[in-house]
This record gives sequence, C-alpha cells and structure tokens, in this order.
Amino acid sequence: MKEKVRPLVKERVWNLVAELTYRCPLRCPYCSNPTALRDFPELLTAADWARVFREAAALGAVHVGLTGGEPTTRRDLAEIVVSAAAAGLYTHLVTAGLPIDAAGLAELARAGLRSVQLSVQDAEAAGSDAIAGTACFERKLAFGREVRALGLPLTLNVVLHRRNLGRVRELIELARALDADRLELANAQYQGWALANRAALLPAREQLEAAARVVVEERARAARPELLFVLPDYFRDRPKPCMGGWARTHLVVTPDGRALPCHGAAELPLAFWNVREHALAECWRDAPGMNAFRGEAWMQEPCRSCPERARDFGGCRCQAFALTGDAAATDPACALSPRHALVAAAHAEPKLEGWRYRAPA
Amino acid sequence: MIPPLEERLRRILDERYHHRHPFNVRLHGGRCTQDEVRRWIRNRYYYQTRIPLKDGLILTKSEDREFRRGWIRRIHDHDGDEARTGGLELWLRLAEAAGLERAEVASLRNVLPGVRRACDAYVEFVASHDLLESVASSLTELAAGPFLGERAEAFRKHYGWIEEAGLAYFLSRTSQAPLDAAEGLAYVLAHAKTAEDQARSEAALLRKCEILWALLDGVEWGGRVPRLAPAALLREEDGETVVVLPERAVRISASGREILAACDGARSVEAVAGAVRARHSEGASVERDVYEFVERMEGLGVLQLRAGS
Repeated sequence: MKEKVRPLVKERVWNLVAELTYRCPLRCPYCSNPTALRDFPELLTAADWARVFREAAALGAVHVGLTGGEPTTRRDLAEIVVSAAAAGLYTHLVTAGLPIDAAGLAELARAGLRSVQLSVQDAEAAGSDAIAGTACFERKLAFGREVRALGLPLTLNVVLHRRNLGRVRELIELARALDADRLELANAQYQGWALANRAALLPAREQLEAAARVVVEERARAARPELLFVLPDYFRDRPKPCMGGWARTHLVVTPDGRALPCHGAAELPLAFWNVREHALAECWRDAPGMNAFRGEAWMQEPCRSCPERARDFGGCRCQAFALTGDAAATDPACALSPRHALVAAAHAEPKLEGWRYRAPA
Repeated sequence: MIPPLEERLRRILDERYHHRHPFNVRLHGGRCTQDEVRRWIRNRYYYQTRIPLKDGLILTKSEDREFRRGWIRRIHDHDGDEARTGGLELWLRLAEAAGLERAEVASLRNVLPGVRRACDAYVEFVASHDLLESVASSLTELAAGPFLGERAEAFRKHYGWIEEAGLAYFLSRTSQAPLDAAEGLAYVLAHAKTAEDQARSEAALLRKCEILWALLDGVEWGGRVPRLAPAALLREEDGETVVVLPERAVRISASGREILAACDGARSVEAVAGAVRARHSEGASVERDVYEFVERMEGLGVLQLRAGS
C-alpha cells in the first residue's frame, strides 16, 4: 500500500503553456511578456496550435494553460479549445476576464474548456484599475461570477507588490465572495517589466510578513478557497526551484512559435527552435537553448558542489542573467551567491511612486 | 487592572475548552449517531494511551521528591495497579459496552490522522517545554470534573444502547480529575510568580485547549464523505492513473486508484477504509494508509469532502 501518490518528478512535458497572443487590453507594469513586444508577431494559426497540442500530448503533456497576453482577444479561441480537448489535454484558460463576455465563455465551455484562472490587480476597483491601466475591475468580477455559474472551477490570481500587499485579507474575502476554488497570491517576480518597475513594486519585509500571517489565519478559518502564498525569493536565503528545473516538466510555446522552457527564457541569449520549422519533440529534446541548463554540468561554484542543487537547480536562470549578465551564474537570490549583494542593493533602492506601463498593449 | 492568574486560566477554559466544540455539543445533546459515538470512543482511546506517556515525561522534569510522589499517582490512575482497574482498561470496557471490538480499538489501527496528530502534539509539547508549562497544560482538568459528570448523564439519557457498566471511566474520573486539577493549579499558582511565567502558563493551557479541539475536528473528519472533485480528469497510462486538475496533476498507483474508486460520494472516510480493508487480508496498516491517502488527496484537491449526514 506504499507509494500511492508520486510527485511530478518524472522528467517529461507535463504542462504545455500556450501563449496564444501577446495582445492584451491591460497594461500591468509587471507583465511577464517580453519587454520588446514588437519583435514577436502572432504567427501561429489555430491549425498550427492543433498540431502543437497533438505533439505535446504525444510527449506526455496532460494539461494546457491557454494564456497570453490575453487569449480571449483571439477570435478563433473556441476552435483552439476544441483541438486542445481533442488532443486529450486538460484545458485551462488564463484570462483577465475581458474582452470575453458571458456568451463567449459559454461557447468555450461547450468547446471543452475545463477551468479558468482570472486575474484581478487589487481588491477594489480604484487600485485594480490603476495597475491594469484601464477600467475593468467590475467587468472582471462579473466574468468570475459567470465562470462559477457555469460550474467551472475558478482560480483567482493576484500579483502582489507593495501597493496591494496590505489588502490580502480583502483579496481573500473577494475570492470567497466569488466562490473561487483557489486564490493565488503571487508575489511579483522581478524580471522583464517587473524588473524595470522594481522600485515601484518591491515591498518591505514587514509588509510580506504581515501578509503571510493573514494567510495563515485565513487558512485556519475556512477550507475554501485554497490559498497559495509563497515568500518570494528576494526575501529568502534560498532561490526558488524555478519551473521545477530547466526544461524538465514545462514547455512554453510563444505566439510566434518558439518553444521555450519558461516564458522568461525568450530574453536569454540562447537558440530555441520554432514549431513552424521543427517538430515539437525536436524543439524540446534537441534545441541548444533547451539543453543549455539541463542536468548539472553547466553549474558554476557554489552550485556545483552544493547539496541543495538537486532541490533548487541553482535557482532561476533568467534572474541570474537579468541581474548578473551571466545566465549560468548562481541565482543572486541565493545567500551563497557571490553576487547576493545585488538583492540587498535592490532592497536599499529608493522607492518610486510611479511606474511604467507595459507597452504597447 | 489585570485579574489574578487563576481567574485568567479559568477564563481560557470557559472560552476555549472543548465543551464548546460542535461535536461535543452534539454528543452531549444526544444528536450523535451510533457510528459517531463509536468513532469518538475508538479515537479518543488514542488520547488515553498518550496520557501516561506525557505524565512520565513530566516526572523527569522535577527534582522534587514530593512533587514526583504526587504526580506518579496519575500514571497509576491510567495504567491501574494491584488495587484498582486503570483508566485505559475502563476505556476499553466502554468500547466493548458500545459494541466495539476490544482488540480493534487497542490496535489503534483506526485512529484518524488528525486525532493522531493532535495527541502526538500534546506529548511533544510536554517533551519540549519546562515543568511549569507542562503542568499548566494539564489544567484542562479544572474543567473536566463537572464536564465528565454531565457526559455520564448524557450517555445514560441518550445512548442507552451502551450498558451502564461501560460508563465506569467517566465516573472514576469525576472524582480523580478535581484532585489532579487542584494539585496542578496549586503548583502553577505557587511557581508562576513573574508576569512572564504567568504568560507562559496561560499560553500552555491555551495550546492544550487547541489540541483537544483539534482532536474533535479529527473525529469529525472521519465522518465526512469524500468524492472525486468534479473538475478532475482521470487518465490511465502504464499501470498508473494520472489525475489532472486545474494547474495540477497527480500520479496515483493501482492501490491508490482502488481507494479513489471506493470514494463513491456515499461512504464516509471511515466506511471507505472499511470497504478497502474488506478486500485485503493483509497487515494492520490498511486503514491508516487509506486515511493518509484521503487526507493527501483532499489537500491536493483531488477529493472533496462534504459533511456526513
């Protein structure tokens, strides 16, 4: 009777992240899309995506996150959902809740959509709309209610930073009011747009600790929603085990067809292959970029001889590159990194009130 | 003006002792089913077995011969001696009077995981705290005297299917608990002189109340009814099952699959364990495996548990 549940350590593509477009009606200053958005046109057609889904399923994928940008800006989204479901993938939509409407959601449910993640930017309209760069908060809530009315599981996602960390309890109450199954309290990861806006977003340690206490209290108070909250790497001595290791279990395909190990990897000076030119299995197995940080041979000291290396994989490659210029360096979030002072310096930076919105939308 | 320590301790008990727990309110109000009363008896036995262990730990913390001579009586009360039948034996008689098998209860194999954690947490608390805090944590006895009298009455009135002889445990404790409580209270009042020591004593008693509360939460969990989450998608591959959920996938072996299949939306957690056991003649850990599996699946969102009827 032992070993009934096994963690997802078996190396294979478990999860496909399908970035259907970089278009988005929102302009959040921590967007995880590339900072040079103009360079990546939306090239994959619904037929291309259908092939990607079939090939991903053949590689072992069981789950697809349909994301972007804002995936519901695509007119052919229902067709894309149909092909993902037909490939046997669990179809999960990651959306801002607009421009899609109730009729559009019902169409996606009929097409085989199984679950929805909805973003809000804060617990109340003024703060949420200010970050989103457009008035959309009420519309998001209405969309969330439509998701539950259709009986679909709902995850609410909020990126946390110093302007909204004080409202974690209100965010939990909002998730309860929407009857959400899960609430992801996702601390901003300082890469791309968020790195450019770090001085406006990075919280104080006391804010994070207060928020963590609220989460513990609220978990004890009620089983729903499931609350996800992880202390961010800037505030720990150990780096995050980014993506469960480079190119081990997650595969991202971008709107222009590049196959990546994570959405941030587009910013690294590595060669990745494109699904318009190669089979997905080749992109996953053979592209030089995919193999750049697999295993441990690429590691430098102190990672190379560190007992933690099998657990945290040396941290985040994109963060190492963004902060040190060397993608093979130990993640500076780690206290053992010789460049850890970069993180301390970030905490000491003067805070800014304003931010730069993601552009273009 | 801060009230004296004794008053503060009694206020903690008034507000946080498990007499207010919903399960206990139903138990004493005659609203528990036969299965629930049996589940409570079976699980609470684990707590009884932990008491002599924690009292043994307390003995090791005192350099005072007089203190030890007094405190060791508690171990005799539970384990029995030449002259008296101990509390553990009396509890097993209660179990038999309620129609449970003595050997099954004594094996502890059906102890629910939340109950096990709560009881183990009590022993660990005493192991890792000093004598004052350990004695203070035992002061739930202050509330136990009148509470157990009420319990014996409630059982006579509402659960007549349990023979009177089975109630001997409650009756024996109604006389022992006040003596234990008086001794413990005298010790805490005599030794907690500084504000810090008093605060530690209060915190210890509060922690103990939380543990007793968690124990009853654990008992209630055994009656919940698990079903596969409606959002879950099951895929069979290479002799194992992959359960896919929003943003999560879990690999489950054949024996886990068997447990999932028994979670039919009608059986309680306990009944699921019974159903799985009926199909296995193997060792005694089947139930414990089932409980731990159901707990993990609940945590991962694979199973949803609703309140039992």
